[in-house]
Amino acid sequence: MRDVAIVGAGMIPFGRRDEDTLMDMLAFASLKAMDDAGLGDKSVDAVYVGNMGGGMLQHQSAIASSLVDRLSLLPAAAETVENGPASGGSAVKNGLLAIASGYYDYVLVVGGEKMREVTGWRATDFVASMTHPQTEYPYGITLPGMAGMFTRLYMQKYGVTREHLLAVSLKNQEMGALNPYAHVEMTLDRGGIFDSPHAIVNNPVSADPLHLYDLCPVSDGAAALILCPLEVAKKMSRPPILIAGFGQATDTHTLQERDDPTDLKAVTLATQQAFERAKLKPSDIHVAELHDAFTILEIAESEHVGFFKKGEGGKAAAAGKTRLGGQIPINVSGGLKARGHPVGATGVAQMVDIVWQLRHELSKNRQVKNAQNGLTVNFGGFGNNVLAFVLKRVDQ
Amino acid sequence: MKNEIPVTAFKCRKCGRIHYPYHDRCLACRNREFDQMRPEGNAKLLTYTAIFNLPWGFDQRFLIIGVAEFENGIKTMGQIKAESADQLKVGMTLKPTWEPIRMQYGEDVYGLKFEPVK
Repeated sequence: MRDVAIVGAGMIPFGRRDEDTLMDMLAFASLKAMDDAGLGDKSVDAVYVGNMGGGMLQHQSAIASSLVDRLSLLPAAAETVENGPASGGSAVKNGLLAIASGYYDYVLVVGGEKMREVTGWRATDFVASMTHPQTEYPYGITLPGMAGMFTRLYMQKYGVTREHLLAVSLKNQEMGALNPYAHVEMTLDRGGIFDSPHAIVNNPVSADPLHLYDLCPVSDGAAALILCPLEVAKKMSRPPILIAGFGQATDTHTLQERDDPTDLKAVTLATQQAFERAKLKPSDIHVAELHDAFTILEIAESEHVGFFKKGEGGKAAAAGKTRLGGQIPINVSGGLKARGHPVGATGVAQMVDIVWQLRHELSKNRQVKNAQNGLTVNFGGFGNNVLAFVLKRVDQ
Repeated sequence: MKNEIPVTAFKCRKCGRIHYPYHDRCLACRNREFDQMRPEGNAKLLTYTAIFNLPWGFDQRFLIIGVAEFENGIKTMGQIKAESADQLKVGMTLKPTWEPIRMQYGEDVYGLKFEPVK
């Protein structure tokens, strides 16, 4: 097995991109990553596209075949990878394994989604299509609804409060406001969404006990990476970012069949695998992008990956331990909460943000000082398919 | 409204684990043989939410959904008949009914609806 490095990273601003097709977005992000890697007019051996909804929302299939044609990457191998909101992470995994095995040397991985061209209730229905088709979906359950039920249990068992959720929301919106790629570049005011008489109007209940600002937005966007063997990457001018560890695990489709529905087993297992392969531990991580589709998930994941003990994640967020400059900065990009969540793009975008952190390329108000190791967690379904990556800066 | 609850759960013949929905192999011991079973009695509310941003297909202001456990151990999702989530509490007893839960292609789709027992 060969070590695999990231040598190119690119992203387009997330948000509502009415002027672009899904293919436009995938192409723009791909070109940015290719240029970042200095590929020039060279090609790649293979392309993996992470996308969840092209077939349902754009009535388009075989997206990867179309992308290699548009980018003149023929005759590169090409596949679309669909794994719900973990499609991006799964696309990266495919690229990683293809290079590690020795089959390919240069791989383009791109994740993208165009969700804003349908109405909100169609987008909600599209995302809900990952719930169980007979025992969950017909009842009208949504992913925020699943998160609401999970939050109620987590609050009951671990004492998480709305104040803890608020801390995540305020932090991620604050960081998103500094991120030129973020969908929601807007800071929130505590009074406006929490403890003023107007708060219930500005921040109504969305999926009890979760409120509007506990949820990520529905976004358009794309992000891309170029991967190659570490030995090749070492000859390049910039420090390569090693994919030091990867892990993936699954869990039951329905929450009700889990022995403890508050236990995100797949998150724990995926990150344990990633840490073991990287020969690192949670305390070695300097910056993390966790899948905060809902504020409760950032708290729960921060515990399940090993940054905090169970029941301590909410308190840690409220105490500022997960802010830039804190014990472990989480979602300095703004996370899904503010950067946005174009589902197929998210797993790739998380890694792009960590690459920029580990290269020390971000502005001072977003950069984790001297970051060497980063973690991403890409959470599919409601925790039934999770991918984790440990990235490491390699100084030459 | 129908009285019976036509939900079929599956009890592993080897280890006794109850499955709903169906799995081809037991989640606990990977055995492939199951006995079918139906929900019995009332149910205990395990968790719930009130959803205000509904998916396509629901023309109403909000929907209350929960997961409940029947007296014989079957756990299922269902809609809950209540005016507000404030009327509910984890652990409370619910009476199950089998009623229309949504319309699809102009026809009623039936499913579980729970009603709090006062």
